[in-house]
Amino acid sequence: MTEGNQPIVRIEDLHKSFGTNEVLRGVNINVKRGEVVVILGPSGSGKSTMLRCINLLEKPTSGHIWFEDTDITAKHTDINKVREHVGMVFQSFNLFPNLTALKNVTLAQVKVLKRSKEEAREVAIRQLERVGLGDRIDYYPSELSGGQQQRVAIARALAMDPHVMLFDEATSALDPELVRGVLDVMKDLARQGMTMIVVTHEMGFARDVADHVVFMDGGVVVEEGTPEEVFDHPKSERTKKFLGDIKLK
Amino acid sequence: MALLIAAALACALIALPSSAQALEVTATTARSNSDNDNSIYGGMETRVTWEAQTASDESLSTLTLDYPDGSTIPANQVKVTGLSGLNRITLDYTVASVDADTVAISFNTPTQAGLLIRVEASKAVLPAEGGSLSVSGSATLANGAQVDIPNGPAMNVVGVSVAQQLSNKLSEQGWVQAWNQNRLLHMFFDPTIIVISIPAVFHGWLLALLMVVCSFPIAIVIGLLLCFLRISHVGILRFLGSLYVNIVRGTPLFLQIYIAFFGLPLLGINIDNYLLSVIVMSLNSGAYLCEIFRAGIESISKGQFEAARSLGMNAVQTMFFVIIPQAFRRVIPTMTSEFILLYKDTSLFAAVGVMEMVMFARSITATTGNMTPYIVAALFYLLVTLPLTKFINIFEKRLADPSHGHKRGGSTPSPARLTDEETTLLESAPKVDSEHVTATSSLPGTQA
Repeated sequence: MTEGNQPIVRIEDLHKSFGTNEVLRGVNINVKRGEVVVILGPSGSGKSTMLRCINLLEKPTSGHIWFEDTDITAKHTDINKVREHVGMVFQSFNLFPNLTALKNVTLAQVKVLKRSKEEAREVAIRQLERVGLGDRIDYYPSELSGGQQQRVAIARALAMDPHVMLFDEATSALDPELVRGVLDVMKDLARQGMTMIVVTHEMGFARDVADHVVFMDGGVVVEEGTPEEVFDHPKSERTKKFLGDIKLK
Repeated sequence: MALLIAAALACALIALPSSAQALEVTATTARSNSDNDNSIYGGMETRVTWEAQTASDESLSTLTLDYPDGSTIPANQVKVTGLSGLNRITLDYTVASVDADTVAISFNTPTQAGLLIRVEASKAVLPAEGGSLSVSGSATLANGAQVDIPNGPAMNVVGVSVAQQLSNKLSEQGWVQAWNQNRLLHMFFDPTIIVISIPAVFHGWLLALLMVVCSFPIAIVIGLLLCFLRISHVGILRFLGSLYVNIVRGTPLFLQIYIAFFGLPLLGINIDNYLLSVIVMSLNSGAYLCEIFRAGIESISKGQFEAARSLGMNAVQTMFFVIIPQAFRRVIPTMTSEFILLYKDTSLFAAVGVMEMVMFARSITATTGNMTPYIVAALFYLLVTLPLTKFINIFEKRLADPSHGHKRGGSTPSPARLTDEETTLLESAPKVDSEHVTATSSLPGTQA
């Protein structure tokens, strides 16, 4: 990872509508290489939709998204090529239930990156060890806890050597006692310099790990800045109210 | 034939030097033992009559008759008479068995010269294989000379199968006769017809199984192709796919069979009956399998597509490496139901004269006027369908079992929309058949 100030992901005036429901109304976000950006906001604020636009799981209605030097919203862009470099972790893990942890991690390496089976296996074992599951490689998803499944999903994304990782409420579906293990893995990743865009409700994580916090509401970015700026000196009333509600919980 | 001539020649050669006045065999006949015509069946009791003319200076002291190999000739049922012109001459003789198909007759007083000797063997059983059979033998003349008796005229004996023999045996049994006193038991469960039906229906069973085993893999390929058309993003392909599926599923297979079997010859296209059956079955079943596969694929959660696509897999890779392997497991029970239906549907081809199980059964019913062959056919169908139904039940239990299922990985927090789609889809997919409904309703996606 090269340190630098040029953005790796640049989102410009992003709009997205589902039918008549406009979910994103002109979002602008820049993510620099090596940066951890945490997106906060109440449910329905459009943060997950925004994240899913970055690898075109949702097709933007208008606006532009650049990933490195590619405008992924341009017609001729080979989105599969882009997705190879954009790892994504889902709220519901989405492991392939018919494959073991190891096979979950090797499949795309072999089919997409055309790695040999041996190489893919080596990489997979290294990544599974990295997320603390070296002893679970032959387990099927149904034999793993939610936290373990999510860590396999992270390893699966990491095995593709992504330039950026997207986390879509990665801990929201987990029982409270399992959240910690997943967050620890994410913290480790951040420390190792991975560029991460994280949609989460974990305020502690945002405060500790984020380089940049973005607060979204109503389909637009309401406020952004360092964790200190957003958490300790919020300017917008909506941000204050949201943080207040969170604290009350 | 060549052997017979050679044997006859050999006999003649041997016979000639010893005596010029050989017995002349004038007749070898057997009484018909058929209920329907004048045929003589092997393996069943009949009466074999052998006649030979002795020369004017020949008088016999012994006569040995060698009936066709495999015959059973009870010695105590052998009756010998002499005929002189129209006069019947009583002879004084004893009969002994040499072996099962050979009897030795010794005349206590040598027969009068020039007599026509008639040997009637009652309760004789000729060999079951049948064929053109004749009786040979030898005689000792009163003067001590040995005379070989060449083969006389042959009898045409119709061969009888092992099953027919068994049936014949059964029909002589007291308990079978008592059983058949009951009209119901006789019409539907006649043991003598059961044993005849089994080999014929078994033959049809193998053919029906072969038909379905050949057509099902082709149907799977057709079904998959149709399924890809139906889930394609290209409108015209989707339209063509659903047009085909709706036409095939919206018309009876029976009608499709008629159109194929009577229509193609009118166009001058003549295809072997079995081949055409396989083609029709594949094309028909492909449409049903298409809907089964589509239901299976659409029961896989959206998250699976998204996960695969987010890893950089293209649509085809996602389909073949992620979705189909999972969908396939889920549709195995429904596919098995479809296999059962297709297997049963082979019976429809009886209507156009394809020799399958019902046709074989019907041919026996046509000659016996008895329903038993259909019952035997029913049992042969069950031989396949019951174990498969059992398999479906076991497999469904396994899919429903959380330790084998994929509850955690497979469920997304927002599958409500998909589930609705599945439900309507699954309702539209099956043929109107209870098996289908039970099988499809157990797709794991619909249980949530």
